Amino acid sequence: MSALIAAPVLLPAFAATISLLFRRRRRWIGAGVSIGATALLLGITVLLMIEASEGGVAAYALGAWPAPFGIVLVLDRLAAMMLVLTSALALAVSVHATLTSLDRRGWHFHPLFQFQLLGLNGAFLTGDLFNLFVFFEVLLIASYGLLLHGQGARRLTAGVQYVIVNLVGSTLFLIALGLLYGVTGTLNMADMAVRAASLPAGDHGLFRAGGMLLTAVFALKAALLPLHLWLPRAYAGAAPAVAALFAIMTKVGAYAIIRTGPLIFAGAAGRYMVPAALGTMILGFVGFLAARHLRSTAAFGLIGSTAILLTAVALFEQSAMAGALYYLPHTTIAAALLFLITDLVIRWRGMEGDAIVATPGYPGRQLLAGLFLAGGVALAGLPPLSGFIGKLLILQASLSSSWWRAIWAVILGTSLVAVIALARAGSTLFWKSDVTPPPPARRSAPNLAEAAPAGFLLAMLVLLTAGAGPVTAYMEAASRQIFDVAGYVRAVLPPPAGAGA
Amino acid sequence: MSMEFLVATAIGALTAGGIYLCLRARTFPVVLGLAMLSYAINLFLFAMGRLVVGRPAIYEKGATGYTDPLPQALVLTAIVISFGMTALALVLALRTFLETGTDQVDGRPDPDLLDRENRT
Amino acid sequence: MHLILLALLPFLGSAWLALLPRASRGVHAGIAVAHVVAALGLLLFVAPGVLNGIADQVRYAWVPALDLSVTLRLDALGLLFAGLILGIGLLIVVYARFYLPAGEPMGRFLSLLLLFQGAMLGIALSGNILLLLIFWELTSLSSFLLIGFRSDKAEGRQGARMALAVTGGGGLALIGGLLLLGHVAGSYELTDVLAQGDVVRASPLYPAALVLILLGCFTKSAQFPFHFWLPHAMAAPTPVSAYLHSATMVKAGVFLLARLWPVLAGTDLWFYLVATTGLITMVVGAAIALFRHDLKAILAYSTVSQLGLMTMLFGFGTPAAALAGIFHLLNHSLFKAALFMNAGIVDHEAGTRDIRLLGGLAKLMPITAALGMIAAASMAGLPPLGGFLSKEMMLEEAVHTAWLGAPWVVPLVALVGAALSVAYSLRFIVQLYLGPQRDAYPASPHDPPAGLWAPSALLVALTIAVGLFPALLTGWLITPAAADITGGTAPEFHPALWHGITPALMLSVIAVAAGGLMLWRHGPLLRGWELLRLPDAKRLFEAALERLVQWARRMSDAVHNGSLQRQLALMFLLAVVIGVEAIWYGGYAPGTRPLLPAPPVAIVAWTLLLAATAAVALVPRQRFVTLIYISVIGLVVSLAFIYLSAPDLALTQISVETVTILLLLLALNLLPKQPVQLSSNQERARNLLLGLAGGTASGLAAWAVMTRAPNDPISSYHWANSYSGGGGTNVVNVTLVDFRAFDTFGEITVLGIAALTIFALLQPAARGVSGQRLREWIADLPRSPERHPMMFAVAARLLLPLAMMVGLYIFLRGHNSPGGGFIAGLIVSIALLMQYMASGFEWADQRRQIDEHALIGFGVIIAALTGVGSLLFDAPLFTSAFGYFTLPIVGKFELATAMLFDIGVALAVIGAVMLALAELSHIAQRAQKEPAEDDGPMDVDPAKLRGLQR
Repeated sequence: MSALIAAPVLLPAFAATISLLFRRRRRWIGAGVSIGATALLLGITVLLMIEASEGGVAAYALGAWPAPFGIVLVLDRLAAMMLVLTSALALAVSVHATLTSLDRRGWHFHPLFQFQLLGLNGAFLTGDLFNLFVFFEVLLIASYGLLLHGQGARRLTAGVQYVIVNLVGSTLFLIALGLLYGVTGTLNMADMAVRAASLPAGDHGLFRAGGMLLTAVFALKAALLPLHLWLPRAYAGAAPAVAALFAIMTKVGAYAIIRTGPLIFAGAAGRYMVPAALGTMILGFVGFLAARHLRSTAAFGLIGSTAILLTAVALFEQSAMAGALYYLPHTTIAAALLFLITDLVIRWRGMEGDAIVATPGYPGRQLLAGLFLAGGVALAGLPPLSGFIGKLLILQASLSSSWWRAIWAVILGTSLVAVIALARAGSTLFWKSDVTPPPPARRSAPNLAEAAPAGFLLAMLVLLTAGAGPVTAYMEAASRQIFDVAGYVRAVLPPPAGAGA
Repeated sequence: MSMEFLVATAIGALTAGGIYLCLRARTFPVVLGLAMLSYAINLFLFAMGRLVVGRPAIYEKGATGYTDPLPQALVLTAIVISFGMTALALVLALRTFLETGTDQVDGRPDPDLLDRENRT
Repeated sequence: MHLILLALLPFLGSAWLALLPRASRGVHAGIAVAHVVAALGLLLFVAPGVLNGIADQVRYAWVPALDLSVTLRLDALGLLFAGLILGIGLLIVVYARFYLPAGEPMGRFLSLLLLFQGAMLGIALSGNILLLLIFWELTSLSSFLLIGFRSDKAEGRQGARMALAVTGGGGLALIGGLLLLGHVAGSYELTDVLAQGDVVRASPLYPAALVLILLGCFTKSAQFPFHFWLPHAMAAPTPVSAYLHSATMVKAGVFLLARLWPVLAGTDLWFYLVATTGLITMVVGAAIALFRHDLKAILAYSTVSQLGLMTMLFGFGTPAAALAGIFHLLNHSLFKAALFMNAGIVDHEAGTRDIRLLGGLAKLMPITAALGMIAAASMAGLPPLGGFLSKEMMLEEAVHTAWLGAPWVVPLVALVGAALSVAYSLRFIVQLYLGPQRDAYPASPHDPPAGLWAPSALLVALTIAVGLFPALLTGWLITPAAADITGGTAPEFHPALWHGITPALMLSVIAVAAGGLMLWRHGPLLRGWELLRLPDAKRLFEAALERLVQWARRMSDAVHNGSLQRQLALMFLLAVVIGVEAIWYGGYAPGTRPLLPAPPVAIVAWTLLLAATAAVALVPRQRFVTLIYISVIGLVVSLAFIYLSAPDLALTQISVETVTILLLLLALNLLPKQPVQLSSNQERARNLLLGLAGGTASGLAAWAVMTRAPNDPISSYHWANSYSGGGGTNVVNVTLVDFRAFDTFGEITVLGIAALTIFALLQPAARGVSGQRLREWIADLPRSPERHPMMFAVAARLLLPLAMMVGLYIFLRGHNSPGGGFIAGLIVSIALLMQYMASGFEWADQRRQIDEHALIGFGVIIAALTGVGSLLFDAPLFTSAFGYFTLPIVGKFELATAMLFDIGVALAVIGAVMLALAELSHIAQRAQKEPAEDDGPMDVDPAKLRGLQR
């Protein structure tokens, strides 16, 4: 396995430091380096995805130390998919941030953005639990910086809550890691899977405590009930473009559950996660209906659609997982698209910020209405976009679980609530213009190019729909790989004879 | 009174203090709570390597026993990371106090300042 | 191949139109007509093959995992429906060309219309039930856009939202139903599903699937409980009403009933659900239609009633009834589309749609009147027209059907329905066209240009033709279509105007008589109807929606009230619950490892720690004092590390401790010192309880692991290979910079980011609101008169080189004995920060040549380059190498590439700590409004001393 596997981590590191060192010269250097690096990253990750789709699980031992002892980077179909998704989303968001000159409204936007990518890519690639913790910290602290970008009282108070919740989360993460290391004596995921199978009976309680606590921490990242209370205020407080990037943050939690659940803890947490995910979905879409501002609409939509993803993951069964993996990129892009649309509405409308109230017409309103319709259709899971296919996959797969009646009722019910909410918001924002205050006197004509990143995201959704055949095939292979623990262990750990050194 | 008992109760006490402080309504005690929790975590992670007295992880050819070096490395990393995080949390708390005039955790106005302003 | 083209044509047209918004109206209409004509031509080209039995099918795999493939299948039923969609579609496009006022964007309207047409065509052609679902929802979406086309009018928006909510909700139920159906039948291909009739009917999931599918059909076809959205969809422009809400969209539900008839029909459940709903809808719809005054509302409710009739026919479950249903579907589309267009003309010409203001238009608008009257007559089911034939067949079927054993129920109710429909049709004729001519019409009514009435003329002609020679004109289409429905056994179709004196004929004569009677006594009946005061469905729906939103707002604000304490309390509680559940569920056996005896000094230190912890927790008001307790705790923890053989940890803990306390002091300087206590005692008790629970849990967990023999930890490998593989004896440091270098790389990135964020936070703090608050800041603690005591300043400056030397020493020895990059970095930073403390910010800042950003940047770059450097020697990333060198004085010493990595670490640490604390003291400095002319020792610069003496 070539060293290309580490490129998604090292490339953002160099990009961040270069744009940090050249920050004073001219503004476009930082932006140019950042966008260029992200585009290059997208290219590399696509290459990695092609490589991963052919072979099996590929492991790369850092520092030439054999697997359980040194840190190992693992690339399989799941990780490759997440990398491509992250870099594509990052490209859209960085272009959007530069076009709307968000990066000039505070210090160090591009370095922090690249460090955020470093943390994300590291978390997807690592095969070592403590290294996962370190990369979680990297992506978290970079997200604190990005969330606070642009300052402002509302953003700061939201930031305080976001930082403290995640710090306590990190503390719990370390407790879980300590327990797991104390009981199994290893940090490497594959090695822990092997040792977990042969744990003496007395240790099972402690091992389960460590595992469930670890899953709870990932659930905090993925905003699962009751650990989702922080998300609405944090994402509504952030700049919408930054919140669009954060759409991938909840998926890091989901990724970690998908990675560790079947491999190490044999889906032990599934029993509790299904009802929790259903509860989150209800709360998410109730909030979606109740939102008074577009930002909180998008935030609650993100909670709701991530909950659909987690419901499918929580079944810990191969075809449900394949459905979840197909739905994962969809919900990320759909939520990010809605956040970008929020930003465009704020900038082009020029008044009332993102409140869902009627305002007089403004240039570019038709384009925004079209984008909002597409984004809404995607998030609510209506045809003709990929949300519908994703939901069908999940509904079909959940038939084999004993929860299927509840799952069907909640998924279909919340889709209806989403449709109603979107119709209300859409008609108020983009149709109603008769009884409204006079438009602001000075309004510069919006530069329609700002909608290009949102268009790019929409194009990705269409691609996901049209290419649903090959994509679902890829996801089914990925799901098989996730549940093939022996294959993963064989690829990561050296043959038993050598391990005794 | 074995060494393990002392360390375990110390961890318990620090965690209890940390949690209690984290649940306070002002940001400064919460940051203190986080610092207490990080002490508890450092001890906890270190304790995972089982307690050994008098045999530091310095390699000598014939050394009989040694303490488990890996948790120590983890704790070192955890200390530095939690230092970075605590510094950021504290500065954020200060900056939010300067921006909003209240250091209440949820950003709600501080009754203390209100009556002070009424008095002056 | 041509099926794919047929399905794509409308979408191509729609896209084409959407791309040319500014073309002229003629061009738009031309494009639209061209595409529809092409599609119609293609359909006719394919028709002969389909009619003599072989269904044309083409299949492309799309999502094999879901068994969803793009299967297009054209059989007779599909042909009939597609013909309707395209035929009437063509007429509607022509009609719309002339109907739409100049102001409205024709391009957008026709583009949406064609999009809808494509979706409807998709329903007719799809051979895979999931593909049908996709087109089904697409029709709801496009109808939402079309109803809301005039977006500036409130009722347009509300109508659109209501239609989407009801049909969308029905669509979701349909998803569930069809998924269940496919699951039971084992495949989603229509041909396979239709063949699995008995399996499906016998399966336990059949009732659930049936109910869900029927929900989808009934909402789309506006059947009884869900009929309220259709009249409010009339807010759409008339061409849309004519096309969607009479001929095509609302018939999709009936079409689906027909399509799935072979697999679902034939059970009692089907009969009672479908037939009963159809029956009730027929009567209710007709009754409401009789007493509405808006022309389009009358036609809308009449459509609801006619759809009820068709649903009832399919509900009977017999092949003959299905045949009658199909025949009526054809007839209804003909006369209802004509009537809608007619109403449009009247509205366009006479300026109003209220029937009470109209009347006596026959003389003013002869052509329109004639067309309207014939179409209405066909709706009433009068003899020479098509409507009569299908009504006869309906009544014939009704007579032979028993309902719960009682043979008279269905015929009676059907009779009432028929009578009511005769009544409202005659009312349409009499009150609109006949009767006295009014003197004041809102606009001067006269016959419209040919383009407006020609399409309805064609339809009316067809109605008459079908009435006279039904078998000739429609037999070739109806019979195979009915065969498709009933799955092979084609019932014979011999419609005739005269079958002799049959019970059906008797019933229809009575119906006509009763209808005439009801029209004659319409006045009193109207007053009786108004007494009923039936609720207005729209107001009910809007009120229910508003209540739902208010409830959602209350619940969401209650749950997400933005309280941090609630989220943290939940997290800690969950952690404790997880611990308890895991131990209870997983099983626990106490450990057997021998315990270490605790020397007395350890117990003293332990009690000190417990006391300090209690003090910090319970005495929060004096914040400076709590800092002292915190440092006591830090000290005791460091001592514990030293005692328990972790020297590296102790060094790091002490230096981090110092920097943290410095940080806390600087920040506390500006924060309130003795704030009033906010949380109530009850809350504090709860927090204490939760704290104790958390503490006990973590203590027990630590105890459980410590008293248990280690499970062959991987660190034995690190111990064995540290010297031979990594070149250093300090295994902890070798692990940090070699075995797990990637962790450390991530870690210094965290530090760097923290510093950057702190810089980004504090840099703008001097401006804006916070700058204002800084300037007004009043020192609330007595300050020592002497800002920079001389002794402190000089001592600090002397200490600096010493500290640098110690830092370097710690750095160099790190690889083999306690030390390393972190500790060295921290020591050097503390030394530099002492200068800030001792001599004030300005003095120290002027002498600061290094830029912290560069330090952080280079630190991370060096670490990354060291990692990548190993690639040059084609070894995997982050591989280290080492060798031994001897120098004359120094002797043999070891140099490792890990040292480079450690330099990166040290630089990053120094840069981060310096940047963070420098910015913080900069802010603190700005608050103290340092008078420039203060002659503190800061100005006594030893270098300038000589100048003073002279």
